[in-house]
Amino acid sequence: MCPQPKTLEFLIVEDEALLAMDIEAIIEDCGHHVVAEAASLADVEALHMIAAPDIALVDVQLALGSSGLDVSALIQTRWRGTVIVFLTANSAKLPADFAGAHGVIAKPFSRNGLKSAIRYIQEGVIAPPPVSSRPDSFKAAPAICERWRC
Amino acid sequence: MKQRDNWHLTDSVDHESGEGDPFAAAVRATRMPMVITDPQLPDNPIIFCNEAFQRLTGYERDEIVGHNCRFLQGPATDPGGVERVRNAIREGAPVDVDLLNYRKDGSTFWNALYVSPVRNEAGVIQFYFASQMDVTDRVEAQKTIARQKVEIEREVESRTVALKDALEAKTLLLHEVDHRVKNNLTMIGSLLRLQARTIDDPVINAKLEAMLERVDALATVHRRLYQSDDVTKFDVGAFAANLVSDVVGASGREDIVVHTDIDAIDVPSNHAAALGLVLNEVVTNAIKHGFKDGRAGKLVVRAEHANENARIIVTDDGPGFPDDADGSGGLGWTLIKKLSRQVGATTEWQRADPGTAVVITFPVGS
Repeated sequence: MCPQPKTLEFLIVEDEALLAMDIEAIIEDCGHHVVAEAASLADVEALHMIAAPDIALVDVQLALGSSGLDVSALIQTRWRGTVIVFLTANSAKLPADFAGAHGVIAKPFSRNGLKSAIRYIQEGVIAPPPVSSRPDSFKAAPAICERWRC
Repeated sequence: MKQRDNWHLTDSVDHESGEGDPFAAAVRATRMPMVITDPQLPDNPIIFCNEAFQRLTGYERDEIVGHNCRFLQGPATDPGGVERVRNAIREGAPVDVDLLNYRKDGSTFWNALYVSPVRNEAGVIQFYFASQMDVTDRVEAQKTIARQKVEIEREVESRTVALKDALEAKTLLLHEVDHRVKNNLTMIGSLLRLQARTIDDPVINAKLEAMLERVDALATVHRRLYQSDDVTKFDVGAFAANLVSDVVGASGREDIVVHTDIDAIDVPSNHAAALGLVLNEVVTNAIKHGFKDGRAGKLVVRAEHANENARIIVTDDGPGFPDDADGSGGLGWTLIKKLSRQVGATTEWQRADPGTAVVITFPVGS
């Protein structure tokens, strides 16, 4: 269903096991690959041996009371090139600059919404700006919005 | 009786127009307590008081005349008020002040004091004329009002705090419920998607996929509702645009060109789920049938007001429907029919030449 000019490596940071499985399946349907899954900040800290993922999908409320914002900060120091996208039902609680993330996908997402968001981000990552118009399911950070002309 | 002597007192007042003056007689007789002081004498003593002043203060005349007015002050007299009187006398200006004064027996009264200078023809201050009035009742009433005001304000304050707390608790509860609804919708979607992946039978799989799309549509309705500022209304026009872009975008069908011409159309939020599902059926049908087998084409979605109604028109330029077409029997068709009726909408299929136009007409509140 999704065009695949290049396979991207994804990191999924989500504490709801069902959701993590589902997101992984959708990502694979889009022809991409999930390198790792994590449910908490500690899980992500333990992942230092893996190669930098292209894209990290990060839930904001994580297991063990940890926060996706801290995960985002860790990813930015560890893997500078990794594009971070938050997955949250509370996007209003994110800081205005999205704490260095590229954007946010609102929960509950639909399969179609998630697919179009992945597709749009993939276009933006591989050859910015994206050729598709920005789907409603994805909200870009102000700085990215400017660069991607969304 | 010394008070009787008052009548003759003005005879001894050394003033240009004092003696036998009918105005002086009136001053002696009035109910308004009055005194006259002489600033030419040391310490500006009282040189005249009327009977009303003696009655008010309880002093005898010889306890009054020859003394400065300050004998009326006591421990609770406001020094600020006394200061104002003193300044006015120094500046030769009239002054108007409420002072707490003391009677001879030690009881207190609120004295509305008015002091004005009396000048001679040369402009030199000859006397000070002071009138008094017992305004204890007025001052006490004002104090009572002020005290009640403070009490009421305290009460209002405490009730406002209680209301704010209650509102905060309710808001927290609302967010919690909203969060759970979102979580559950997300998990239902995930469960269906995961199940669909394990089924090889293409017929069952297609049905599961359709069901998944319906759950997704409901999730999108909920997301749009909680993200909007007014939860009582639902912009079905914006939802239609959202839905079309999601469905077509996710299909990866770059050969389907989408054209939207969408007005904002608010419907009551209790119609949101039903209208959302109807639209979902119509749009997914258009893509499944209008552009099947990889056929390229154009999908036009219009949302517009028409008098008391609004309509959403979804047009594909596909092969159209055969003359003997009968969609009845499928769940999708039943959903469209029943849910349309539930919200007072009608959904009609029209030949668009080429293709099919589905027109959903529904009432909108004024």
